[in-house]
Amino acid sequence: MPVIVCHGLKGGAGTTFLASHLAMTLSEAGADVTVLTTAHRNTLPLHFGLQPAMTLPSLFAPAEDAVLVSGINLRSHVRAPEDPDFVPTLSDMGYLETGQDRVMVIDVPSNEFAFARRVIPHASAHVCVLNAAADTLALMPQVLDEASPESIAAASFVINALDETRRLSRHSAAFIRELVGTRLLGRVRLDESVPEAIAMLQPLAKYAPSSAALADVRAIGAAVIPALETPGRPWVARGSAPSSSASRAA
Amino acid sequence: MRIDARNLLDKLGKNDFAYKEFEDRFSELELWPMLEALLRDPRLQAIDPVENVATAAAAVAEQAVVETFEPLQTEPLSSLFSRYGQGPAASSASDRRGPQAQDVRAMLRHLSDLGSQGKI
Repeated sequence: MPVIVCHGLKGGAGTTFLASHLAMTLSEAGADVTVLTTAHRNTLPLHFGLQPAMTLPSLFAPAEDAVLVSGINLRSHVRAPEDPDFVPTLSDMGYLETGQDRVMVIDVPSNEFAFARRVIPHASAHVCVLNAAADTLALMPQVLDEASPESIAAASFVINALDETRRLSRHSAAFIRELVGTRLLGRVRLDESVPEAIAMLQPLAKYAPSSAALADVRAIGAAVIPALETPGRPWVARGSAPSSSASRAA
Repeated sequence: MRIDARNLLDKLGKNDFAYKEFEDRFSELELWPMLEALLRDPRLQAIDPVENVATAAAAVAEQAVVETFEPLQTEPLSSLFSRYGQGPAASSASDRRGPQAQDVRAMLRHLSDLGSQGKI
């Protein structure tokens, strides 16, 4: 029952979008997936086509209170960052073990880096979401300085909302690719279908099945599947360097 | 997606657009001062894949990081800093990128080459 931690380097990077679609891809691959958000103000339900007024049940709420979307269990635990027993609790619940039968994807807000640092060593994967933007790049030295070597070593990276029509965006993405090398899982192109699907209260796959962002995030989800076999220790992407097929539109 | 864009994609038999018309050569562009400042920041070395994995392996249990694919040869980030006279460049990096890879321009030329090969 592996745990995958999704954590953005900066607020607004699209971590919740990525966590949601990782969960969908893993679910489609046959896993029994729970998505846990620890954010006080979370947008998780929106990526599943739910109403904005939807309140997610606690991680510890009974099964009859569960919110299930296409078999994916959506949960919330806003006190997790302050809960010193969170990791032992996950272990008691059967997570942090091997196999694809049950998977938990945790959506961690960018400001909860201390919490992320605590959970990541026990997770099967840490997916760090970046934007190819100057302000994000400017924060990288500080973030790396504050992170533990173990957390950095365990990180795989995703560039989200990449606008390849913009020069600075392309250059920033190239810089990130050069920086993280083979640990870059891939990039998700900027796609207006993503906010449109939220506004239509539909999952992206239903609203825009030909969405470029959907194709990108599905490919990233597929790349993460090997992580499910490494519970309790971080898996790191060691694929080929981003190639033309991974970095360019089809 | 706008309906006209979707209709066009349907006619072309594609799912999305390509942006190849926006390709440019990095060597023909000015370096962004932000990127140059980042390259000069030693804290970025923490992300160095080679050094980082080695550090983590020493700090935690063996095989703490699981590699599921064949790792590629990567250049330690420290070798980039060495181009500013902050230390010796790794010989493997010099071999891979040649003697011209001595400054940020060389990095951009490398990126440009990758771009022209369609790898970025």
